[in-house]
Amino acid sequence: MRDLLSVLVTVFIFPGFGFLVACAFLFEWIDRRTIARLQARIGPPWFQPVADLLKLLSKENVLPRQADRPICTALPVVSLAAVLTAALYIPVGGRVVYAFEGDLIVVLFLLSLPALFYFLAGWVSGGVYSIIGGSRSVLQYFSYEVPFLMALSAPAILTGSWSISEIISQQTGAGWILLVQPLGFLLAVVGLIGKLKRVPFDIPKAKSEVVGGPLTEFSGRKLALWHLTVDIQTVAGIFLLVNVFLGGGNLAFLRYSASLGLVRAAAFAVKALAMLLILSVTSALYARLRIDQLTSLGWRVLAPLGLVELAATMLIGVV
Amino acid sequence: MTRVTIPVGPQHPLLKEPLSFRLTAEGERVMEAALRMGYVHRGIERLSEERNYVQNLYLLERVCGICSHVHTTTYCQGVEALLELDVPPRGLMLRTLLCELERIHSHMLWLGVLAENIGFSTIFMYSWRDREIALDIMEDLSGGRIAHAVNTIGGVRIDPEPEQIRAARHRLNALEDQVDDLVDVVKYEGTLKVRTQGVGGASLEQVRRHCAVGPVARAAGLDRDLRRDAPYAAYDRLFFNVITASDGDVWAATWVRVLEVLESLSMCRQILDDLPEGEVSTRAPRRVPEGEVVSRAEAPRGEVVYYIRSDGSDKPARIKIRTPTLPALSLVREQLRDINIADVPVVISGIDLCIACADR
Amino acid sequence: MELKNLLAALEDACPDHSFEAHAMPVDETVIEIPAACLEKVVDVLRSTFSIYHLSTITGQDRGTELNLLYHFWHERGITLQVTLPRDDARVSTLTGAIPGADFYEREVGEMLGVTFEGHPGPEHLLLPEDWKTGPPLLKEHAADEEEA
Repeated sequence: MRDLLSVLVTVFIFPGFGFLVACAFLFEWIDRRTIARLQARIGPPWFQPVADLLKLLSKENVLPRQADRPICTALPVVSLAAVLTAALYIPVGGRVVYAFEGDLIVVLFLLSLPALFYFLAGWVSGGVYSIIGGSRSVLQYFSYEVPFLMALSAPAILTGSWSISEIISQQTGAGWILLVQPLGFLLAVVGLIGKLKRVPFDIPKAKSEVVGGPLTEFSGRKLALWHLTVDIQTVAGIFLLVNVFLGGGNLAFLRYSASLGLVRAAAFAVKALAMLLILSVTSALYARLRIDQLTSLGWRVLAPLGLVELAATMLIGVV
Repeated sequence: MTRVTIPVGPQHPLLKEPLSFRLTAEGERVMEAALRMGYVHRGIERLSEERNYVQNLYLLERVCGICSHVHTTTYCQGVEALLELDVPPRGLMLRTLLCELERIHSHMLWLGVLAENIGFSTIFMYSWRDREIALDIMEDLSGGRIAHAVNTIGGVRIDPEPEQIRAARHRLNALEDQVDDLVDVVKYEGTLKVRTQGVGGASLEQVRRHCAVGPVARAAGLDRDLRRDAPYAAYDRLFFNVITASDGDVWAATWVRVLEVLESLSMCRQILDDLPEGEVSTRAPRRVPEGEVVSRAEAPRGEVVYYIRSDGSDKPARIKIRTPTLPALSLVREQLRDINIADVPVVISGIDLCIACADR
Repeated sequence: MELKNLLAALEDACPDHSFEAHAMPVDETVIEIPAACLEKVVDVLRSTFSIYHLSTITGQDRGTELNLLYHFWHERGITLQVTLPRDDARVSTLTGAIPGADFYEREVGEMLGVTFEGHPGPEHLLLPEDWKTGPPLLKEHAADEEEA
């Protein structure tokens, strides 16, 4: 009985769904506030993300006649399910819902599914803007996903393990992987910006070109779930990078696993917020790229650098 | 590959006013553009025949929101020529001051809109925040931020006190500091250049064939600016440079407009430093003698032309308005051929459309 | 560009008509030309005198006839005045030589009912496609409005 209760608490409250959704709202607020301050504005109050979600949930659900209703209703739900499941395997300050050897691969796979569903959403909802946005999102997907996967495979090859928890504990003794693989970290950050479709890579939903991209025809509850998916994907992506490159909740320069849970949580929070700051600042600093410029960047710069990273890791273990 | 028709407008996040482009695209390339305008046609030319010359001041100010002052300037110049009135120097200088302030605010508005349309909302926020300083100056002098109602037939209706001139000069200094920063950003920011260089190139030949005017034409190398070539108001007394470029792309147009803001700031300073004393207007009779006049001025977007015919009564017989956006629309149909879909917002923003002006 | 050189060149291009110019404020020169000579005159302006810039085409109803004013600009304003009869208002298009004249001619066409022969696409520019009551700037239209 106690086991069942503790499983339920872990999955639904901490570090499971409840915690993730709360983090999603918090991160969205910090992001919007940071960008606003950089743009000489004030920014929204703390409850804005919650208010936005509630507002969307209460709005009318309208779809064009030619859209495939069942699929359009299912896609946001499945998307959200994928990112939530991925997040279950990502440790938060040392605590994780479920860990096993190979969970890094599962997480990477699950985190790449929303891109596919995003494209499908554009394809089946009809309308010119949705289809163009959808085809752009697929082009973009290939440009950032390959370097991202390469960058996240390098730590696994370095530590000899495909389990995130194992990668974390190995960093405790040896130091952050960021210090030995700075190129990999850079590629992972760029890949994450592409995955989350933030400026400069928000090409599929470029408002001035394709109105809303694949999600143009979505409204109401469906749009609310898409919105939540992106937020949770942000959280999951940031947590993943903190764990793999920055040592998770451990204070790696101290050569022991901090036993006090509070210290681990605080260290993890600081690192996660630093990552979020990196993402916010890059969004404020640049203009949106064109899709052909992104694919050129992806295949001419990022992918070769990823290959260099992998090769160097396999040969000498650093870079 | 199948051809898709992408509608841009009449309602679109890219356009601030209703205008309809029907783009025919294959994949990511636009093949052709069809244009439909007239969504904001209010029949102003026809309406102006029913109103007397003073009422027409209020009507013609509302042809456009962004360049309202230059419309009334051109109209008043024309009517004053028919009446053979001489506007006193102080009135002319004040009229010119507002023309230049309007040019500053219009170009900064445009820079923000261009930045927003390429996804660079930071520059949009900054340039519109700095534009507020120019609007504050205009509000302090005339009482209105956008619709100033400064012109009257025979001069202007504002007469600023010395404190207002001092305050305006103070604000102008603050604005100049901000604009200098913006110039640096435009000059050095890589992603802005990457999105605008080589995009929407108009050659000098195309500009000539479509009779395009203003910064778009000057960016392609056409050295024409009515403030220098046909000086009106107080422009014969001011020192300024006419900015031209040679590439004709949106980057060149950006550069031309940004430097024009600096020139306008210098002109405003010259006016404020040298404002003569005296009357601001001369009394104008209600009835205008028979005659015709063609009056031209350089609006922020280019040459604006008014043809006014009077039949001796107190109502005009015909007023014809040609605004600079009309030839720009003619040019953009050609520029939208064979470009990337992603470049469409850049090209359309680059010509600085003012649809209310074009439709009247 | 001397005015008398211009008038002489025009007379060469269009021998049956004698050309006179009069001044109009502000710094504008107006030359009356017959409708049939329009294309040749514009050709002379463009090729011999480098006058390319057509500012606009004004159309107006003078009661007994229609007036078309072609406003050009080259260092100063030059306007060509063409008079057309009301019941048969047709003149050749300039869009071949000056593509920018497209919009101006469409507007004059819909506002005054003038036909521009050879125009590639004389649809309405500003008025809706289903505009029923006739060219708005014609004086008889004003009379109808007042009666209604």
